[in-house]
Amino acid sequence: MLSGSQQVTGNINSFNTLASHNNIINITAGPDLEKDQILQWLSQLEPQQRHEGVRADRLDSVGNWVLETNEFRQWCDMGGGWGEPVLFCYGNPGVGKTYLR
Amino acid sequence: MIDSLCYQAEGRDVAVVGLYCDFLAHQEQSTTGMLGAILKQLVSRGGVPEHIREAFRGAENGFGRRGLRLPDMVEILKKTITLPQQVFVCIDALDESAPKNRWGLLKSLQEIIRVSPNMRILLTGRPHIDNEIVEFFSKAVRIAVSPTQDDIKSYLEMRLNSDTTPKVMDDELRRHIMRIIPEKISEM
Repeated sequence: MLSGSQQVTGNINSFNTLASHNNIINITAGPDLEKDQILQWLSQLEPQQRHEGVRADRLDSVGNWVLETNEFRQWCDMGGGWGEPVLFCYGNPGVGKTYLR
Repeated sequence: MIDSLCYQAEGRDVAVVGLYCDFLAHQEQSTTGMLGAILKQLVSRGGVPEHIREAFRGAENGFGRRGLRLPDMVEILKKTITLPQQVFVCIDALDESAPKNRWGLLKSLQEIIRVSPNMRILLTGRPHIDNEIVEFFSKAVRIAVSPTQDDIKSYLEMRLNSDTTPKVMDDELRRHIMRIIPEKISEM
């Protein structure tokens, strides 16, 4: 999903100077603490963790035919094709839907 | 699928987010909670947009911080999923979510996608939820997923090779397993 290297912390945009009102100078040049609070506030679910588990247990060669279907290719066309936006992959329990690469 | 999308997305302005539904997590996986998890992934990579910071600060009421209400969550998502970025949302095992939450999630996604043509949605689940999906996305494209003979053989090989009691196995038994199981499964 989102690999660790894409997580950007250490946001230096958060630079607040509230000196005029109450003589408190609050300079946050380190990690964006508010961002962490906001992420927690938005949702307590952590789907990334589940994804790491799935990735670890996955057998890469299995189910690749799905990725080769025209239906999937058209759906994930990143070149700006605006086909039908919703794709439903269905199957009975245990057929490997979750573990498609 | 998420990893395949991420691989393709490298170097493009594309965000890929995912969600796994779970029978055991109906409490946490409310409609708002699931949409929140999507939003959280969208904003965790870069800076948090100002409209989200404002909503966050506005939720403080002196006694603590209120959670977002569903209509507000939907509005925020609409504002966040903007061109030129393409957003791929992958939701696994949709059938495992509680019916009420699923209905709310599909309805919200329908509302968001109306104003966000740059969003694409992948759903996986058991066949019986098809009619619910069609109710909101009448033209949804479908793929029936079932393992091929090769898939089954690869999986069996892997399981046999990681057997914790390999001494019990001999070549004949192994051949037997590799022949009978794929046959039986394809008869199902």
